[in-house]
Amino acid sequence: MKTLIEITDLTYKYRSGGGNAVTALNGVTMQVYRGEILAITGQNGSGKSTLARHFNALLTPGSGEVIVDGLSVNDKKNTAAIRRIVGMVFQNPDNQLVSSVVEEDVAFGPENLGLPQAEIVKRVDWALKSLDLEAYRYRSPNSLSEGQKQLVAIAGVLAMKPKCIVLDEPTAHLDPKGKREVLENVQRLNRDEGITTVLLTHSMNEVVHCDRMIIMDQGLIKLTGAPRELFAQAEQIKALGLDLPAAAQLAYGLKLKGLTLPGNILTIEELVASLCQLP
Amino acid sequence: MYIGTSKLTHTYWPGTPFAADALKNISFSVGQGTFTLLIGPSGSGKTTLIQHLNGLLKPSAGEVYFDGKKIGPDKAALLALRRRVGLVFQMPEDQFFSETVFDEIAYAPRNLGLDEKKVEERVNRAVAQVGLERSRLLDRHPFQLSAGQKRRVAIASVLSLEPEVLILDEPAAGLDPEGKGNLLNLLSSLNRAGKITIMVSTHHLDEIAALADNLVVLNEGGLVMSGKTKEILARGAELKELGLALPQVTGIMHELAARGLPVSTDIYSLSAACDEILQAKRADQR
Ligand SMILES: Nc1ncnc2c1ncn2[C@@H]1O[C@H](COP(=O)(O)OP(=O)(O)OP(=O)(O)O)[C@@H](O)[C@H]1O
Ligand SMILES: Nc1ncnc2c1ncn2[C@@H]1O[C@H](COP(=O)(O)OP(=O)(O)OP(=O)(O)O)[C@@H](O)[C@H]1O
Ligand SMILES: [Mg+2]
Ligand SMILES: [Mg+2]
Repeated sequence: MKTLIEITDLTYKYRSGGGNAVTALNGVTMQVYRGEILAITGQNGSGKSTLARHFNALLTPGSGEVIVDGLSVNDKKNTAAIRRIVGMVFQNPDNQLVSSVVEEDVAFGPENLGLPQAEIVKRVDWALKSLDLEAYRYRSPNSLSEGQKQLVAIAGVLAMKPKCIVLDEPTAHLDPKGKREVLENVQRLNRDEGITTVLLTHSMNEVVHCDRMIIMDQGLIKLTGAPRELFAQAEQIKALGLDLPAAAQLAYGLKLKGLTLPGNILTIEELVASLCQLP
Repeated sequence: MYIGTSKLTHTYWPGTPFAADALKNISFSVGQGTFTLLIGPSGSGKTTLIQHLNGLLKPSAGEVYFDGKKIGPDKAALLALRRRVGLVFQMPEDQFFSETVFDEIAYAPRNLGLDEKKVEERVNRAVAQVGLERSRLLDRHPFQLSAGQKRRVAIASVLSLEPEVLILDEPAAGLDPEGKGNLLNLLSSLNRAGKITIMVSTHHLDEIAALADNLVVLNEGGLVMSGKTKEILARGAELKELGLALPQVTGIMHELAARGLPVSTDIYSLSAACDEILQAKRADQR
């Protein structure tokens, strides 16, 4: 079966102050395929986090259906199993960090999976090392800087090695080195262990490295496709309030000013190569 | 000295086994009306330093200054300071305490004693400045928002104070591309036209570096570089060493220059890069 998460006609409304309901998802149909890295992007408030919270049964559909690895999110009996399949890194790490010591926090997920103690220790060591967090092992998470907290939250989910990892803007508070480490580790887990990854992000430079992207707008999915395909439609992307990756945007600007460049420049390497080849 | 510190040291948990110096002997100053970026790896001390500038932490050693006066523990003086220096927290949730978005943004102008009509004017202006004018969320609890909406409300609730100094701790985190672009335009116009002094801590130098007069670089609690934006960004190798990165377009310009295209490398925005490349191409063709 190719599809890991199948979502059909999903709607979700929040009850909010003033008694009004806020429609966050307005009939979303989409799939997450096994083994892919999927990016979800879209303007603030477009519904990305609300959608992602259905992937691991933090929310249950207002209407419609969410099936994770054959299990329906609507059935409460499946919740524990679904949370073992889909590990989620929240947009705000404070909502995630539960222990008073970093290493216990990272061990929390693997412990819940019921892994043997030796394996837990191995995973915690590996996750802390991969994200350069060994120095903070015995610290309290709430005495860390925001970037350090974010890395600890990510380490906790990586250590679970679930079938699917969902990262809600994982790099917002990371420095360039931390960003690189997170993205490299995610890509390595995807490649070597086949872990399916969903990345919610506002960074088009991160989207470029994903297999597929989804653009949301006002609770709906507006565009789906390979990044190279979608970023070729610059006008549409801009109309949705988004941007192109830096190199593509520069190429777009140069073309508007009359420079002749090939049609589909996406990366810095491509831009530099074509500018230096031009007469 | 308009804003700055002299030999500022901050130790978290002093006298315990966890004691750690988050700031070590920091001396720096920024002039009135300037635009300064505070950069440094995660954990280098940016948030700790920023909190001192608003009198939220007490120095373990050294002094912090605003407008020529030392910031001290006196309550009235601190209140006066916070009316002139507005701080947007790194995590919006840490800043919220009102029941509705409207009250959150209205808090500062009400506190200044403005009448309710003026308060509403200021709220509406701030809401428009952060691009929330069409989103009908003023009646909601500040926690009933998406992450980027929370960020915008947090910024609006400081803009409504109309402070003479605006300090923002990683303000673009969580904003969508349009929101980020609008924020940068807003900061630029507040600084240029409004003569507001601005200080921003950030990991993303893209586009914002083009607005900044000065850069202050922290590493492991120490001040490791400080000076004009152009001077500091010319030291790309040292920044890389610290785990930091030049703006992406600057990286592109370096690559083009290395491949022999006659472009300048002190370019920090896409529009400047565009102009520079076109000029180099035209010169090439002649
Ligand atoms: N707890 C809540 N109560 C009421 N409305 C909410 C709540 N959380 C989110 N919303 C609303 O639901 C919609 C979708 O929010 P969501 O958080 O899913 O957006 P998002 O795409 O993740 O945005 P961002 O890019 O800002 O993180 C928005 O209109 C938001 O205001
Ligand atoms: N409440 C606290 N108790 C103990 N140590 C702390 C506390 N807050 C921060 N620290 C430590 O002080 C140092 C500086 O933290 P600070 O939050 O100022 O860094 P930062 O530069 O803002 O990082 P980031 O880019 O991740 O936000 C870090 O090593 C951090 O672990
Ligand atoms: Mg979100
Ligand atoms: Mg910080």
